[in-house]
Amino acid sequence: MGKYFGKDKWSYMFYTITHPMDGYYWIRHRDYGSVPLAVLMVFLFSISFTANRLLSSFVVNDIDPRGVDGLFELLGVMSFYLLICVSNWSVTCLMGGEGRMKDIAIAVGYGTVPMTFVMVAATIVSQFVADEEQAFYGLLIGVGIAYGVLMMLMGIMQVHNYTLGKTLLTLFITFVAALIIVFLLLLLSNLLGMVYNFFHSIYTELIFRV
Amino acid sequence: MRKLMKLKPFISLCLALMILFTTEGVTAMADELPYDSYNYDYREYIHYTPAPYIPDRTVTGLDFTFNGEALGKFNNPQDLCQAPDGNIYIADTNNNRIVVLDSAMKNVVKVITTFTNNGAEDKFSSPYGVCVSERGWLYVADMKNKRVVVLDENDALVQIIENPQSESLEDGFVFSPMKVTVDYADRVYVIAQNMFEGIMVFESNGQFSNFFGTIQVEISGWEKFWKRLATKEERANQQLYIPTEFTGIDIDPEGFVYASNIDATGIQGVRRLNPRGEDVIKKGSNENVGGDLQIAGNSDYAGPSQFTDVTYRENGIYSCLDRKRGRIFTYDYEGNLLYIFGGLGTQEGTFQLPVAVEDIGGKIVILDATKGAILCFTETEYGRLINEAVSLRYDGDEAEAVAIWERVLQLDENNELANTGIGKAYLTAGDYEKAMHYLEIGMARDYYSIAFKRYRNQVLTENASWFLTGLVVLIGGWFVYKQVKKRKKGEVE
Repeated sequence: MGKYFGKDKWSYMFYTITHPMDGYYWIRHRDYGSVPLAVLMVFLFSISFTANRLLSSFVVNDIDPRGVDGLFELLGVMSFYLLICVSNWSVTCLMGGEGRMKDIAIAVGYGTVPMTFVMVAATIVSQFVADEEQAFYGLLIGVGIAYGVLMMLMGIMQVHNYTLGKTLLTLFITFVAALIIVFLLLLLSNLLGMVYNFFHSIYTELIFRV
Repeated sequence: MRKLMKLKPFISLCLALMILFTTEGVTAMADELPYDSYNYDYREYIHYTPAPYIPDRTVTGLDFTFNGEALGKFNNPQDLCQAPDGNIYIADTNNNRIVVLDSAMKNVVKVITTFTNNGAEDKFSSPYGVCVSERGWLYVADMKNKRVVVLDENDALVQIIENPQSESLEDGFVFSPMKVTVDYADRVYVIAQNMFEGIMVFESNGQFSNFFGTIQVEISGWEKFWKRLATKEERANQQLYIPTEFTGIDIDPEGFVYASNIDATGIQGVRRLNPRGEDVIKKGSNENVGGDLQIAGNSDYAGPSQFTDVTYRENGIYSCLDRKRGRIFTYDYEGNLLYIFGGLGTQEGTFQLPVAVEDIGGKIVILDATKGAILCFTETEYGRLINEAVSLRYDGDEAEAVAIWERVLQLDENNELANTGIGKAYLTAGDYEKAMHYLEIGMARDYYSIAFKRYRNQVLTENASWFLTGLVVLIGGWFVYKQVKKRKKGEVE
């Protein structure tokens, strides 16, 4: 327990949030980060996101509660997280990135922490705002998301030891790679389905004849 | 006590029977109706309601005798209207006659088949639309004779409107009037066949004046893009982008023209045209006055509603008739859907080809061309309550409407209009907590926000002393803490 969720890991995570450049550097070179902690952070982000959609006040919230499914959203966020990590890793491997898979996972995972904070804060703030003050609520969420994205960007830049330009380029390629991965997965599932159907029809054929 | 225990099974049996009988009675009543009554909520889910109107009776031509002879079936009747004196005029199109019934639809007052034109007897040919003006003159859209015939209260010819002349009309234009209506200044509004430029307006002397309420064609950027790519031959083969024709027309007492049209997108099936011909209809919170909202699907029964007629009722309420699914949609002046009822079929109370809708003495009356029948629907308590409450709100008596809305809620718990109405009344009365509760159920976000703001101020002012004391204590505590810390540090050094 102490190894992954120790007090030092937690405090270093908060240090990274306030000092991303420095923090991510030592995560890469001294193993100050923790992958399970990063995954936990993504999990918490997913929960806070769902909570915001369900619990923020009527004034700011136009979401049909019947359309919110926390488990489904968790699955979506987690698979998106996995997809980003895998595609970024596969791209940066070829583009001279120094980061390991675990560094990428930590960079992205820690980046969700400001968003989680803001989601929770915004949900609470929303209970006190009227129509005209909606802008504050929007601003709060906007700032949080911007901060999170910036953190992820810095994280990826630091762990791979890239320049900003190269980071943006790799991120774009990462996006394309993610699409390719999704495409291949769909293709694979489709083909597997066809194989299954093939054997299944042989089976039914045999059953009918025997 | 023991006695009571013995009685217990008996009592429960009685209760069970009571419940059984009462519920059975209720369901049996609902089963009698051949259609569903429903409405759409804020999120456009279908929400079934009690029936606002139920079938009252069906009137056919076979019910009447006139001058000792049977009147005979109506043959493809296309329009009906009520005159200011209460009589009901029916355009019995394929019988080439106008049938006039008394206001109770019990007796035939007269049948107009001929009139004297320049000393000679003249007849109608497919009279499609009828309208009676305020002074009692009868206007008949005599379609196949390509004219509008105006008769006075003694059926004497006043004038014939035909062959309109104008630069804006194309050469070879054939004037085939389908629907006609007249305003307080005896201006005549005519919907003519294949006339896509709008409603034709004629002055009281029969002179063509102008087009009115032209429906603009909207071409999306995507369509423009494909048009540009297409070759000339392809373009010639493509569907033309022509505006839809109007289908039905009515005038409210203030002179605003309500006109229905068939909208392929299902967004706007009715227009409210001001005297300058501009559309001033309010579309409500979901920006839609086009009938059904859930129209997806590929079957013949899917697709947007097709409004074939509209009638202005009272206090800003108007009803539109959908010929696609035989439903009547009623809106208030803000464009909120009040209720929906009606359906296609062969049972009594359903339609085969509904063509015209009219409000006659509080009843909704539908003319069915295929059945050749007039179907009357009478309001239920639910329908009456909604009509009354909306009328009160139209007059500005929101507080008075509350009692009615509360009764509506007993019949239909989630009615958003009722909840909003009650919430708004509480908001005016200053009970912000209750207002918030009702306005949230009614999904009235703007009013909820106002109520919330006032509620927040109220809480803040009532508890101001606590907040301020707390603040002072906090600042004081912080100050003391700092001092203590400082002194400790000093001691250590």
